[in-house]
Amino acid sequence: MKRRHFLQLAGFSCLPLSPIKSAAGLLFPLGQNQANLSKVEARFYEKLPDREIKCNLCPRFCHLGDKERGYCGVRENDGGIYYSLVYGKVCALNVDPIEKKPFFHFLPGTQALSLATAGCNVNCKFCQNWQISQVRPEQVEAVDLSPQAVALAAENNSCPSVAYTYTEPVIFFEYMVDTSIAARKKGIRNVVVTGGHINPEPLEALIKVVDAIKVDLKSFSEAFYKDYVRGELKPVLEAIKLINQRKTWLEIVYLVIPTLNDQESMIRQMCRWLIKEVGEDVPLHFSRFHPMYLLKNLPPTPVSTLEKLHAVAREEGLRYVYIGNVPGHKAESTYCPFCGQLLIERIGYKVERFELRNGRCRFCQAVIPGIWV
Amino acid sequence: MAQSSKVVIVRAKGILSTTQIDLKRLQAMIIKGLTWLTAESKVERAVEKIFSPSDRVGIKINTIGGRLLSTSPELALSLSTVLAQGGLLERNMVVWDRTNRELRAAGYSLQTSRDKLKIFGTDAAGAGYETEPLSFRNIGSLYSTILTNFVTASISLAILKDHGLAGVTAGMKNYFGAIHNPNKYHDNHCDPFVAELCASPPIKDKHRLTVLDALVVQYHKGPAYHPQWAEPFEGLIFGLDPVATDTVGWSLIEKMRAAKGLPSLKEEGRPPFYLETAKSLGLGESDLSRLQIIEEQV
Repeated sequence: MKRRHFLQLAGFSCLPLSPIKSAAGLLFPLGQNQANLSKVEARFYEKLPDREIKCNLCPRFCHLGDKERGYCGVRENDGGIYYSLVYGKVCALNVDPIEKKPFFHFLPGTQALSLATAGCNVNCKFCQNWQISQVRPEQVEAVDLSPQAVALAAENNSCPSVAYTYTEPVIFFEYMVDTSIAARKKGIRNVVVTGGHINPEPLEALIKVVDAIKVDLKSFSEAFYKDYVRGELKPVLEAIKLINQRKTWLEIVYLVIPTLNDQESMIRQMCRWLIKEVGEDVPLHFSRFHPMYLLKNLPPTPVSTLEKLHAVAREEGLRYVYIGNVPGHKAESTYCPFCGQLLIERIGYKVERFELRNGRCRFCQAVIPGIWV
Repeated sequence: MAQSSKVVIVRAKGILSTTQIDLKRLQAMIIKGLTWLTAESKVERAVEKIFSPSDRVGIKINTIGGRLLSTSPELALSLSTVLAQGGLLERNMVVWDRTNRELRAAGYSLQTSRDKLKIFGTDAAGAGYETEPLSFRNIGSLYSTILTNFVTASISLAILKDHGLAGVTAGMKNYFGAIHNPNKYHDNHCDPFVAELCASPPIKDKHRLTVLDALVVQYHKGPAYHPQWAEPFEGLIFGLDPVATDTVGWSLIEKMRAAKGLPSLKEEGRPPFYLETAKSLGLGESDLSRLQIIEEQV
């Protein structure tokens, strides 16, 4: 995407919008641009003696000397003050169907102004957006967009929500929170697509200003998190519990990677945990893996595997289980768990049919959980 | 990487006592280091033993610490001068690091002329990173095209420093500046990441020489500059074995810490574990008692 497309999207031009590209289509060649870094003091860190700091934003708790950056690569200690280098530095901006995040029970059929800055606080070997998530902000081109400009762009593009997505929004926490506040002032909602590596205190602050959170639960095994995510499972589970306790709309995505996290026994264990801690109504999306980044030696997930795990989750008692990244599959659609009728028919990211009335099944009047239009 | 575990320390007492570093003396230090390292009497023969005349040589420096605590420009330029005296073509040499901004901040003047020594960062026009990540053991990174495309032989001209996470940053860790995502490799005291990075083909196949800038050594609270814990050592450390050279650098930091009454890095729980890992990967010798250490003065 060219700079002018960003500006058009942000509402700085009266020209019609160009066709929206995928996140991968937004990437710029590395190493060809001048640094465009912000210097906004970070939140949730401690000052230590000798110009050192400790970051308390995510479970890594990076302890950094002067001039060092955190694991995320986008927060830097300069003289004992910790700064966000990506506040307002948007490297990806799209108008996406909310189904692409995916959120299936949150304003279905609407568009979300979707944005990201560079950086991530984990390093998944299977990252689908690694060209922007696994780089430093100097290594991608970014456009300056203030929180107010994002809110205005959402309004101008008829987006009822802003989505913080593509990379890991936790690492641009300050920008996400301020933008969410600006968006809410215009009646626009905020949704977060995250891996859930965030500490409870900042998560509490985030929950106060956003409306829905989708957590990528990447496995139900600490070993997998250590080897393939470079993170930890436990804090992610704690984050899921907290989001649910605060009654923020929650959906879970599980990317199924052949041989690595597709064991039926582990999926059963995960489903039982979800039902116990979050409830049977939480939507669970099993997404199809495609070989990317550092995991190119594995094939795409067989659809039969996704169908098997879908059946396992339903058997365990989860009511809203979906299959993603398989356009046209019947498990992309929402069915009433009580009468079995098709309620929301989806093909790809498009909603073809909508049979809810005031949040209830049109056929049996059962309440279907979600945030509906 | 080279197999000899000989390490040469060359000191020049008083070299920092003048306002400007005496370049002739600095060059004499380098010549002495290279000739002792290769057991040759002439610099031409020494250079010939390490490089071939057609080599395009990358001198990877470390400029993250700004003007106060980076590989000094005087040293990098003196090294290129000595290599040219030894028969290499200046136009086939590049002094490089991550970014032009950091190079400038450390006192380097950028040079991109075709017929001269080049000085630029990976973010310079025409350079950049590879577009596909290379996956090697626990490393998954884009490598600088300066390393992968431009150079055929690499020198790690690193500044020797204490490092809060790694224990020591020296010649091996200097190659963190050759990849796009070094922030991903500081967990667990940078172990096994430093070793595995140096064992990855783009580096292992091209690394020929380590030179540690120990003119001033930050022996505590590195890698940032803290003048109260920075000591003039007025020395350079040379090695063909990258593990051996860094091991000697570590021992120097420990001596300085002991002299100041500070706990050792081992006592602080942060010795450079990656050196043992590097040894296990066959990159060199990390046992100080098995190294041949030569100390010289100019």
